[in-house]
Amino acid sequence: MKRTGFLYDDRYRLHKTGPYHPEVPERLEAIYEGIRNGELLEKVSRITALPAELKWVHSVHTPEYAKRFEAACRARHQTLDSPDNQMCPETYEVALLAVGGILEAVRRVMAGELDNAFCAVRPPGHHAETSRAMGFCYFNNVAIAARYLQKQWGLHRVGIVDFDVHHGNGTQHIFDDEPEVYYYSIHQHPTFAYPGTGREFEYGRGAGYGFTKNSPVLPGLSDDDWMRLMERDLFPAFADFKPEFILVSAGFDGHRDDDMSDIKLSTECYSWIMRRLMAMAGEYASGRIVSVLEGGYCLKRLPELARNHVEILLNG
Amino acid sequence: MFVSRSMTRRVITVNPDTTIFEAQELMGAHGIRHLPVVDSGGKLIGIVTDRDLRSALPYRFFKEGISPADKEGFQNLTVNDIMTRKVIAIPPSYTIQDALLVIQNSRVGALPVVDEEGRLKGIISVRDLLRAFINVLGIGQPGTLLCILVEEKVGQLKKIVDAITEMGVSFGSVLVARYWDEKKRAVFPYLLTQNVAQVKRKLTEMGYELLDPMQWYIDQLPENERPPDQPKK
Repeated sequence: MKRTGFLYDDRYRLHKTGPYHPEVPERLEAIYEGIRNGELLEKVSRITALPAELKWVHSVHTPEYAKRFEAACRARHQTLDSPDNQMCPETYEVALLAVGGILEAVRRVMAGELDNAFCAVRPPGHHAETSRAMGFCYFNNVAIAARYLQKQWGLHRVGIVDFDVHHGNGTQHIFDDEPEVYYYSIHQHPTFAYPGTGREFEYGRGAGYGFTKNSPVLPGLSDDDWMRLMERDLFPAFADFKPEFILVSAGFDGHRDDDMSDIKLSTECYSWIMRRLMAMAGEYASGRIVSVLEGGYCLKRLPELARNHVEILLNG
Repeated sequence: MFVSRSMTRRVITVNPDTTIFEAQELMGAHGIRHLPVVDSGGKLIGIVTDRDLRSALPYRFFKEGISPADKEGFQNLTVNDIMTRKVIAIPPSYTIQDALLVIQNSRVGALPVVDEEGRLKGIISVRDLLRAFINVLGIGQPGTLLCILVEEKVGQLKKIVDAITEMGVSFGSVLVARYWDEKKRAVFPYLLTQNVAQVKRKLTEMGYELLDPMQWYIDQLPENERPPDQPKK
C-alpha cells in the first residue's frame, strides 16, 4: 500500500458563495464523508493546511492582484472580477490555506515522506488567471504547485493533467510559452461550455509550442469517447515528455449526474482515469502524483467519487 | 456596426504603372492579398489580387523561383495590364451586415471602401469581418452557450432575457435563428457565467424546451427540413 496524503481542513468550508451557487462547502463535507465511510481515514496521512507564503502566490499571480483580492475581502465585497466569483470576508484567507496545504502535500511527496496525495480544497483554482479571478477560482492552486516544484525542487518537467469538465484556461495561459510544464486538459467542447477556450488547435506559444494539448469532448458523449481521447492525446504525449511529477486538476463535474455539464461519464470512468494516471506516474515520475480538487458539484456522487479516487491512490 | 469602424485605414496601394513584380513584393512584405490601384488623385481605379498575379505569370515562377532572365521577359508587365477595373467597392456608411452580404454575393475576399468622389478611404477584408463577427458573438469572453426552443410569438425573448437577468447573469450575445419547425425559433444566449445549471433549471421550470446545441444545424435551416436525429422531447 502506498503512503497517501489527504489534505482536508475544516477551514476550507469558511469560503461561502451565497445562494444559487453550486460551489458550496457541502461539497467538501460530501468528499470527507465518502472517504470516512470508505474506512480510508486511518489509511491516509492527514495533512493540515497552513497559509501559503506570499512569495509562492506571487510566483504565478501579480502582487497587485493578490492585494486587490485581499482588499476586496476586507471591504466585504461579495464578488471579485465576475459575478461567478461570489465570496465572503474569509475567502482570501481560505484561498491562502488551500495553496499552503497543497504546497505542503507536494513538499512531503518530494521529501519522500509520502508517495502521493489528494488535496480536497476550496476554492478551486484552474480558471484563475495571473491577475483575474474567474469561474469560482481565485488563486491557481495547481499552477502555484508547479512553480514551487520548479523553483524549490529544481524540476524541469512538470506534467499537469486537468480532467475537470471545464477547460483550465488559467493554468494553460500561465504556462503557454514554457516547455518545462506540459498542460493537458480534457473537457466539454468550448463552443458549448465555459470558459470558451481549450480548442483543439491551442498548442502553446513560442518555446512552449507543443507543450499544451487539449481534447475537447462534444456534449452528450460519455465514457468510451472520453477514454478514447485520453488514450489518443494524453498518454503518447506524456510518454514523450516524461514528467518528473504529475499534478492533477481533479474535477468530477463531467459525471452524468452532475448538472454543470452535458458530458455523461460514469463513476467507473473516473476510476479508470485515476488508475491510468497512477500507472503513468509510476512509469515516469517515480510514482509522484498530487491530485487537487477543482469542480464536481453533485453532492450525491461526490462521496463515491472521492472514495474511489483515494482508494486508487492508496492501492495504485 | 459601420464599415468605417472596422476597416483598415492605412491601405497599401499601387498605381497603374507599378510592375507586377513590385506588386508581388508588396503583397509578400505586408502579408496581404489585395492591392487597390489608385490614380494620382487618390481615386480608386482598379484592384489587383494575388490570384491576378498568379494568372499573369507562369506557374514555374511560383514553384521554382524567378531567374533574372525570366524577370527580364515580364518586367514591362504592369498592374495596369492585369488589374480588375470594375471594382466592387462600398461606401464607409455601409454596415457590417451590408458588407457581409456584398461579400457573399460577389465572392470577393476584400472590399475597397470609397467616398462619394470615388477616393479610397480604406479596405475591409473577410478577416476584418470575421473579427467583427467574433466580437458580436461574444466568444472572446468566457461564457456558456445555451439553446432554447421558443414558440414564435411576441414577448418570448423578453421573458427569457428577464429571467436570466434576474439571476444576475450577463449576456455575451443572443442569437435568434430559424428552426425546422416554422412555428418555433431557436434562441442562443451566450451567457458570461460558468453557473449555468441554475439558469437551465429556471428556464425548464418556466416551461421552455432546452435544446442540445449539437442538434442545431446551421446549414439545414433554409430548407426548413427536419434534421434526421431531431430529439423528441
